[in-house]
Formats: sequence, C-alpha cells, structure tokens
Amino acid sequence: MTTASPVAPVILDSAERRATARLIVDRVSKRFGTGPDAIDALLPIDLAVNGGDFVCIVGPSGCGKSTLLNIVAGFETPTAGIVTLDARAITGPGRERGVVFQQGALFNWMTVEENVAFGPRALGKPAGAALDTARRYIELVGLTGFTRRYPYELSGGMQQRVGIARALANEPEVLLMDEPFAALDQQTRELLQEEIRGIWRRTGKTILWITHSIEEALFLATHVVVMTGRPGRIKAAFETAFSRDPDPLVTTSAAFAEAKRQVVSLLRQESLQAQRQEANA
Amino acid sequence: MSVARRTARRNQLLGFASFAVMLLAWIAVTGSGLWTPLVNPTFLPSPVTVANTFMRLADKGYQGHTLLHHFLISLMRFGIAFAICVAVGVPVGLLMGMSSGARAVLDPPIEITRPIPKLALLPLFIIWFGIGELSKTIVIITALFPLISISAMQAVRAVSVRKIHAAQSLGASPAMIFRRVLLPASLPGIFTGMRVSVGIGVTMLVGAEMVATSDGVAWMALTAADFVQTDIVLVGVLIMAVLGYTLDRIFRMLETRVVHWSGRD
Repeated sequence: MTTASPVAPVILDSAERRATARLIVDRVSKRFGTGPDAIDALLPIDLAVNGGDFVCIVGPSGCGKSTLLNIVAGFETPTAGIVTLDARAITGPGRERGVVFQQGALFNWMTVEENVAFGPRALGKPAGAALDTARRYIELVGLTGFTRRYPYELSGGMQQRVGIARALANEPEVLLMDEPFAALDQQTRELLQEEIRGIWRRTGKTILWITHSIEEALFLATHVVVMTGRPGRIKAAFETAFSRDPDPLVTTSAAFAEAKRQVVSLLRQESLQAQRQEANA
Repeated sequence: MSVARRTARRNQLLGFASFAVMLLAWIAVTGSGLWTPLVNPTFLPSPVTVANTFMRLADKGYQGHTLLHHFLISLMRFGIAFAICVAVGVPVGLLMGMSSGARAVLDPPIEITRPIPKLALLPLFIIWFGIGELSKTIVIITALFPLISISAMQAVRAVSVRKIHAAQSLGASPAMIFRRVLLPASLPGIFTGMRVSVGIGVTMLVGAEMVATSDGVAWMALTAADFVQTDIVLVGVLIMAVLGYTLDRIFRMLETRVVHWSGRD
C-alpha cells in the first residue's frame, strides 16, 4: 500500500468532481405516497461519478439504495432533483445505462445467446450480427459452451454471468448493478467478484453497484458510499484502493481489515439507529 | 434409476392399479356373466354389456346417425366454441392485463356474469339465437370465455416487473417488449387457463345438447336415459370421459413442449 490509510474520506459531490463527472445525481429525493402517510425514502442525495469510477453504495436494508439505483436507471422518477448522464437529463430507461438485477430478470423462454442478443436486436442490429455480438460477451463472462442452454438450466452464478453479458452487450456508458450477487453462495460470489473486477479493468466501464456487503464494496469499489437508514442520505464516502490491488486475497490483509473496521463502525451506528426507529414506530 | 424417476414409475403403476380396482369393482357388482349380478342390470349394466353396446352403436348408429357422427358433432361444437374463446379471449385478457383502462371497461361485465350458471341462460339463448348450432356454441362460449380471458389477464399481470425493466433498459420498444417478453412470459398461464376450460367445455356439452338437438354424444346419453337404456348412457358418458382425458393429455404434452420454461423462474 502506498497510501497511509487504505480508505480516505472523500466528498463525492465536490465542485472539481462535478466539473469532470459524467453521471451526476443532483439533489435527488424520493417520497412515496402523499399527505401524512407519505414516507421519505431518500433525502436529497448528491453524487458525482467520473468515467471509469466503480462506486459501491452500502447501507442497511430499506435505506433507499435500490430506490436510488432505480431512479438512475429511469425506472422511477425522483420527487425532486435530477440525474444527468453526460449532461443529459435522465427521464426513463435507456440503453446507455445497462442494468444487472439480483435475479429473475432473465428471459427464460430464450436461450443464453438469445438473451444476450436481445439488446443488440432492440437497437436494430440484424439477427446474425446481434448473435455475433452476443457470443463475444458470452465468452467474456466465461460461458462459451452454454450459448444454446436456457437460463433455468444454469446455476445461480451462471445466470448472473448471463445477466452481466446481456447488460454489457449493448455497450452501455454506465453499468447499474442492484445487489447482483446477493443470492449466491459465498464461493460463487467471491469468484464472480474477482471476475467483475477483471471485466471492469479491461473495459473501463463506469459502475454503480448496490450492496449490503461492506467487504464486497471495499474489494470492488474505487469509491464507497455509506448510506443512513431510512430516510436514506449519504452518511460518508471513501476512496479506496483495494480494487486496483492485483492480489485476489487482498481481503485477508491487515489493511483491508482496518478499512473494514472503519466502515463497519459507521454502518453499525446506522443499523442500530434504524432498528431503534423501527421499534419506536 | 434416480429416486425421482423411480417415484414417477411407482406413481404410474399406482394410477393403473387404481383404474384396475375400479374396473374390478364394476365387474364384481354386475357379475359380467360370471355370476349373478349383485345389482339390477337395468340400473348398472356390466362392462361386457357396455362394450357390446358400444360395438353395436358403432356398427348400427343411434337414432339415425352413426356413433362417429354423434362424436364428431359434439367435438365440433366444443371445438368451435373453444377456438373462438381462445382467439378472442386471450387478446382481450392480455389487453385487460396491460391497460388499466381496458380493465375498467371489460372487468365488470366479465366479473358480474361469471357466477351465473351458464346453463340457466340456455333457454334465453334459444329464444334469441334459435334452436340451431348458434345457441349451443354460445352457451359453451359463455362458460369458457371468462376462464380464458381472466387467466390471460392474470398471466400478463404476474410478469415480473424486473423482466420488463430489463427489456426497457436494453432499448426495447413497447412492441418488442410485448412480442418477446410479455407474451412468452404469459404463455404458461394462458395454457393453464386453456387446459382448465377443456374440462369445463366437455362438461358444458351435456347442457348444450340437453334441448333442441337430435345428435351429439351427450344428447345420445340423455335420450337413452329417458328410455332407461343405461348401457347406452354409459357408452356416452365414457366417450365424453375419454374425450376430456385425451384433450387434457394433449394440452399437457403441448405445455411441456411449447412452454418449456413454465414454472422455472
């Protein structure tokens, strides 16, 4: 490690970051319902993501991190504020933002290659060219040999690879990942985490990643954003360097443990507070 | 052999055994020429008598029509009604599932008429549509249409929003989302609705052929009952049972072939 501390606090919406950022979340808040029953899911959030950043958003359950991702994806509209990508406002789903879901988002009536070719087809590529593109990305996620299988014939980890290949096949500017590995077992998850690091390094994609696992966030991210319990807002943000460490076993190092300790203690306070709020409610 | 396959094989044998026991009980109480019948043959003829009657009917026909004619005319009545219900009911159901406006318009008439026993409407249909094929077809349609359209509606509404979101963020147009996501994702539910309505449709034949007819398998059974020809009644009943069972098997087979992804999410 070259830096003294493996995690350094960072202000993610500073003026200089905003000046260069591609994806900007600007005073975005979300309230569900109206009147006295309304629930604030997100208090105003500011985020500036540079091209090539790998931003992990960590927070307790129900903190609105998925809501934030859904807003960036264009599935939900913010109550206030705006999200822009390359200075264009986001008003709905779009191919420049590829989304990988936790599970259950694959098309079971299509083979693996048809799933991955769906995006290129939607963009108007002829069937043959779309399949060629699909096979390239299937190879990238290591599923050559399974192109003609149906998703339900594959393991959970392989299904997530299909989901990643499908999102990548449209060559999106940003990848949005909503706890993509949460439903997988530990070994599969660790293996896929390593691979997603590899894919990120090779493709230089900008990634916004939702997780409740601090370890996952520290291992993958260039920037870790810690959110508070509901209503969600940003509690702290860190810059980390572990994602650039070539050692896949970096998670067992002392520096990693220390970094985790810092983030865990922050998140612990939040979880406790969230529980107390629930008990009082 | 795997445990699952062994269980499947065992259950198949149990199914045969269950059928064999029913047949043996029938043979036992009716004597079947082996011993004195335990019940009056007029009320319950033996399987042998029923088989002989079937051969006789197949050979000589019943009341001026061949047995094949009775069978085919019943199949046609059911088939036409079923085809119309699928051709109209599935699109209507899909529309209701996708548009809350369409649901607001179409749901009340379907839901209000659903609990009405459709056979009770038959006299009315005969007044409106005459004693020909039309009133018979319509009474079967009224029974099947709600089943098929509502199952299509529920199927499309049950499509996971994630799949739709995924398609949207891959740049798919609404037409492409319908054709390649909503429709295939709803097919398993649509198939279930069709399979259920096959059974009910065959049952409805009895009602449709109750009045103002002179052919059909159900009509044959009903007419024979008036003359206490229980052997002919049983031939008619068994033909309908076999028809219903066969159609159900065909649909199950189609289901595993056509919608292989059913229930595998």
